[in-house]
Amino acid sequence: MSPRALAGPEIQRILALVPWIVAHPDSPKREIALRFGITVDQLDDDLSLVLMIGVPPYSPGDYLDVEEDEDGHVSIRLADYFQRPLRLTPAEGLALLAAGRALLAVPGSDPSGPLATALTKLEHALELPGLVVDVGEPGQLATMRAAVAGHARVEIEYWSAGRDELTTRRIDPEVVFFATGEWYVGAYCHRAHDERMFRVDRIRSVQPTGETFEPGATGFETGDVYTPRDDDTRVTLELAPAAAWVAEAYPTEAVTERADGSLEIVLAVSERAWLERLLLRLGPDARTVAPPEFEALAADAAHRILRRYRDTEGSEGSDRPSGRRPDTEARGRA
Amino acid sequence: MPDAPSRVERVLNLLALLLDTRRALTREEIVHDVAGYPPQITAYRRAFERDKETLRGMGVPLTTESIGDGAELGYRVRPEDYYLPDLGLDAEEAAALRVAVSAVSLGSHAGEGALLKLGGLADEAVAPIASLPIAPALATLFEAFRARAVVRFTHRDRLRTVEPWGLSSKRGHWYVVGFDRDRDAVRAFRADRIEGEVEIGAPDAFAAPADFRPDDHVESRAWLLGDEPAVAVRVRVDADHCDGMLAELGSDATIDEAASDAETSVIEVSITNQAAFRTFVLGFLEHAEVLEPPALRADIVAWLERAAGAA
Repeated sequence: MSPRALAGPEIQRILALVPWIVAHPDSPKREIALRFGITVDQLDDDLSLVLMIGVPPYSPGDYLDVEEDEDGHVSIRLADYFQRPLRLTPAEGLALLAAGRALLAVPGSDPSGPLATALTKLEHALELPGLVVDVGEPGQLATMRAAVAGHARVEIEYWSAGRDELTTRRIDPEVVFFATGEWYVGAYCHRAHDERMFRVDRIRSVQPTGETFEPGATGFETGDVYTPRDDDTRVTLELAPAAAWVAEAYPTEAVTERADGSLEIVLAVSERAWLERLLLRLGPDARTVAPPEFEALAADAAHRILRRYRDTEGSEGSDRPSGRRPDTEARGRA
Repeated sequence: MPDAPSRVERVLNLLALLLDTRRALTREEIVHDVAGYPPQITAYRRAFERDKETLRGMGVPLTTESIGDGAELGYRVRPEDYYLPDLGLDAEEAAALRVAVSAVSLGSHAGEGALLKLGGLADEAVAPIASLPIAPALATLFEAFRARAVVRFTHRDRLRTVEPWGLSSKRGHWYVVGFDRDRDAVRAFRADRIEGEVEIGAPDAFAAPADFRPDDHVESRAWLLGDEPAVAVRVRVDADHCDGMLAELGSDATIDEAASDAETSVIEVSITNQAAFRTFVLGFLEHAEVLEPPALRADIVAWLERAAGAA
């Protein structure tokens, strides 16, 4: 580790801690430690370091003075030059504003509450420019957040894009969060008998069941949108250079780059329709190499869609209702 | 004999001296005063360089000025540049900021660093509600936006010279929105697609329009990103997918009720990028088809025929 990496956090903590103790004399050490995310032992180490800080000519009165009473309350004196914390770095100012504006953008936040006024003060005092954060608001977001808060078991009608089917299922919604640009509900699904992640914008309707559930049975983390499972099919794709972005955009388990710039990648695929969409989008820039039963996946999907286009042509011109929905009823999970 | 001062102790004493001094001090004066520097010239010079780097890395405004007859460099830290101004936050406001930093994950520890300076972290853990990762380039863009400095960066293989007029986050992506000097137009750039370093120019180089709203210029719908002439598209979509398609298309899309029936709806929308719209419609698989314009319909059929024949 570099010396800077070693010294940085400790120095920054002490530079934040000293002005706070100066401004709050006789504070309990336990409270200070909690505030600054350290143990009381670490605080003791920091305070013994503080005693060594001084300025020329380094006579006794030129050093910071730490006083501690019998009950573990501390004060710092003679710290004129450390009376205020260091100003925020651009990254820190950005982080505060971004986090604040994002939370304020979450539907249901109080647009004139303490967070809003705090951000205004921050922008004003530090002459920081405003940020605009939009996290969207799918139709069922408020209902799902209320269900999470009330531990309410609900019945949802959900369009599973991966399977391309509409299902009704009972779920115990544990968390609602925004990640990769979408709102998700993490829930125990009584249909799958397992934890599932649902996109809120694909929940078509929500019905209360009148039942509640014991929260905490699942372990979702924010950002945990898709975790490959062992039983997902591993699909090998050959990608032209124009489709190389796929390797970065999705959880790829292996990438081999060829001399001509094309890639061979291995993807964990849990849902066929998801792969169909990806392959149709990529068109000639992608080819399925393995497993054999997936080789014709894109072609089969293309045939199904073409059938719809041809049905329309064959019926009554291109702008008339076809009145048919090819295949949809026959599909779905057993 | 007491132990040799630790590096942390040395850097803290260096900073105390630089903040406390009324005039800029030379390296030799500093090294003489502050305990912990090695006696050999090359060794103390190297140590002093490292300490300066540590201080600047934390954002300490360490200034240099020439002193005496100009032959020597002097160092100091002006307290007015160093001290965080009093934000005047009340207890509720400070708590609200702490909650925001815990609840929104930005993929860095900068928020926690800011909270320490504002007087401490959250008292208890808050369940994260949103994840909006910040690309490294964004902090530099933010500083340029604050200082009204022109930036130069590479985006999609092209060097751009941009007046940053605003920063905005939409659908989970951060954008810098501003005046693209080469294209002579307002443009939005996704920050995570900026390659390499962002070069930042002199401050106060421009003035953004007072009523500028960056989010008005951020377009996350790919079929509206493009310079093709606007084309009116008609799509027939199965009833089960109609609401989903409308939600993605946004408020510009309308339903042609006369052409719709119980099982399907016809949606009309204007687009400026036909290839992107093909991707969008194919995402609905056999639940949607483009009716008009004929050229786009023919393009999609040809695309599908190629995909169907490739098996």
